[in-house]
Amino acid sequence: MTGSRPTPPQDGGSGHRRVISGRTAVLAVIALVMLIPAYLLVVNSFKSQQDITQEPFGIPFGRLSLGHLREALASPDFSLLRAYLVTAAFAVAVNVLSLLVSGPAAYVIARSLRIRHRVLLGCFLVGLFIPSQVLVIPVIFVLKSLGLMGTVAGFLAFETTLTLPISMFLYVSYIKTLPRQLDEAARIDGAGPIGTFWRIIFPLMRPAVATAVILHTIGVWTDFVNPQIILGPGSSLYTVTTSVYAAIGRYSTDFTVVYPNLLMAVVPVLVFFVLLQRNIVSGLTSGAVKE
Amino acid sequence: MPGSTPAPGGVRAGDRPGPAREARPAGAAPGSGTGGRPSTGRGRARLSAFVSQTVLLAPATVLISVFMLLPIALAAYLSFTDWNGLTPDPRRVGWANYARLLQDADVGHAAVVTLVVTLVGTVACNAAGLALAVLLNRSGRLTGLLRAVVFYPYVIGPIIIGFLWSAILGANGAIAGLLTSAGHSPLPFLSDPTWAVGSIVAVVVWSQFGVNVVLYLAGLQTIPVSLVEAARMDGATRWQVFRSVTWPMLAPSVTVNLVLVLVGLLRVYEIVLALTGGGPAGRTSTFAFLILSESFRTNHLGYGAAQAMTLTVVIGALALAITALRRRAEQAVSA
Repeated sequence: MTGSRPTPPQDGGSGHRRVISGRTAVLAVIALVMLIPAYLLVVNSFKSQQDITQEPFGIPFGRLSLGHLREALASPDFSLLRAYLVTAAFAVAVNVLSLLVSGPAAYVIARSLRIRHRVLLGCFLVGLFIPSQVLVIPVIFVLKSLGLMGTVAGFLAFETTLTLPISMFLYVSYIKTLPRQLDEAARIDGAGPIGTFWRIIFPLMRPAVATAVILHTIGVWTDFVNPQIILGPGSSLYTVTTSVYAAIGRYSTDFTVVYPNLLMAVVPVLVFFVLLQRNIVSGLTSGAVKE
Repeated sequence: MPGSTPAPGGVRAGDRPGPAREARPAGAAPGSGTGGRPSTGRGRARLSAFVSQTVLLAPATVLISVFMLLPIALAAYLSFTDWNGLTPDPRRVGWANYARLLQDADVGHAAVVTLVVTLVGTVACNAAGLALAVLLNRSGRLTGLLRAVVFYPYVIGPIIIGFLWSAILGANGAIAGLLTSAGHSPLPFLSDPTWAVGSIVAVVVWSQFGVNVVLYLAGLQTIPVSLVEAARMDGATRWQVFRSVTWPMLAPSVTVNLVLVLVGLLRVYEIVLALTGGGPAGRTSTFAFLILSESFRTNHLGYGAAQAMTLTVVIGALALAITALRRRAEQAVSA
């Protein structure tokens, strides 16, 4: 990180110190506002209903228990552990499908200046602005006509489609930075476009693929509308978000259900976030800010 | 055009000039040297190049057509029908859905709520995001830590955030408990319509401005340090440096952030669902909430499609308008 220098030479000692401490105070307040909900989430997951309502911020060390967390994990209606597996499997499947589908298409578009390919790219990028809420109603119509409503295949097809705008945007701009001589060399060696993409270009796309995978994984993990509506409660396939919704929707005043369920839903993503924070942040920025 | 939007224009800007060169892609070479029948050789090569291009493009094209382009067209069609989500062939009702939309008090409420959330939220997210980014724009452990602290709601997702904040702001929630034990009466964060809209805006900003911080930080880092130092050397104050160097140089980032937040806030749904459920008495329904909750609950999907089309047109118009308006500011940078 090479930003502006912290210490302006001209400022006198006291004025400078005031600026610094003002900054620290502002940052501290922001950190508090951001972290208090997380604190409440963690602390109240171990407390009884009475302790939560009477002393929401307190930590009654003598009366903390793991019982409510255990109940959240072993709910009779559905298994949160199973929801982890289902959601993780969905994330993997969507990422694999998205890459298989958008990588080759991005290659053709990036290497072409034909009008029809530009129009095609435009069609993909329009998706950046179309809210999935707007698509859901007509997509139900489409899925019903195809006999895919309520099926995993239908869900994965739509969820993968929702990833294509971002993938195409990232991959097309990345492939454009790769020298065309690579393609020429591969062609002279007798490779067709398909072979050239998978054997020469694809292995070089790792940074762009990492960005896309991170964004799509977060997208699938936090998606609520599509699993809720397309898979529906009837399919008995719950993702983390839809199972939390099912758990809390019914007992939203029982905080010994609310907090532990939310905490269990959040823990895996927070671990993911702490481990990959740098990549997540740089992935997000590489999509929106081009050098 | 440094740091352009993720919109179509931004990608095209990177294109190489000279479309003529592209006229014969891979495969033109083998046929050209054979002398005797160049046209058939070239034709076959061109055909095989076309076939493999089609193979590479087909899956993505099929998906985007079936699940995005066709649905957009279908939404337009369904908005002129009384489709209830069950019958395979809906009945056409002309402009009835749109006429109903104009008279529907719920839609009017939702439009106002969406407008407030979007306007206040966009301004607040960008102001807070930019201010914090300026404060954090220096190296150090504190910077990385704070960036993570403001950003983490993004990975948690809106439905969880909505439930968490409803446990904090709700009738028996954490803040109510705190106020009661301090001898205060609880505040109607979620039970009074005006307070509830304010709560939604606050939670939306809380959960989204971290993304703006990250994006503005990245934008700030594209500004050459030498420019800032030169201005400081000439005796400019911090504010003058920001006003005359940082802010104009940041124009492309501002556009990206404005469009992203605006498009994001116009579709706020999950936070409303989990925080207020649209209540009290439907007074905190956003447009997206109305589309998803009401039209599904009542099976009026044709009507929902009309609402969805309206939202799409509004989002498209606003995104285009902002991009066009900001273009002038961005051109001032590159000039």
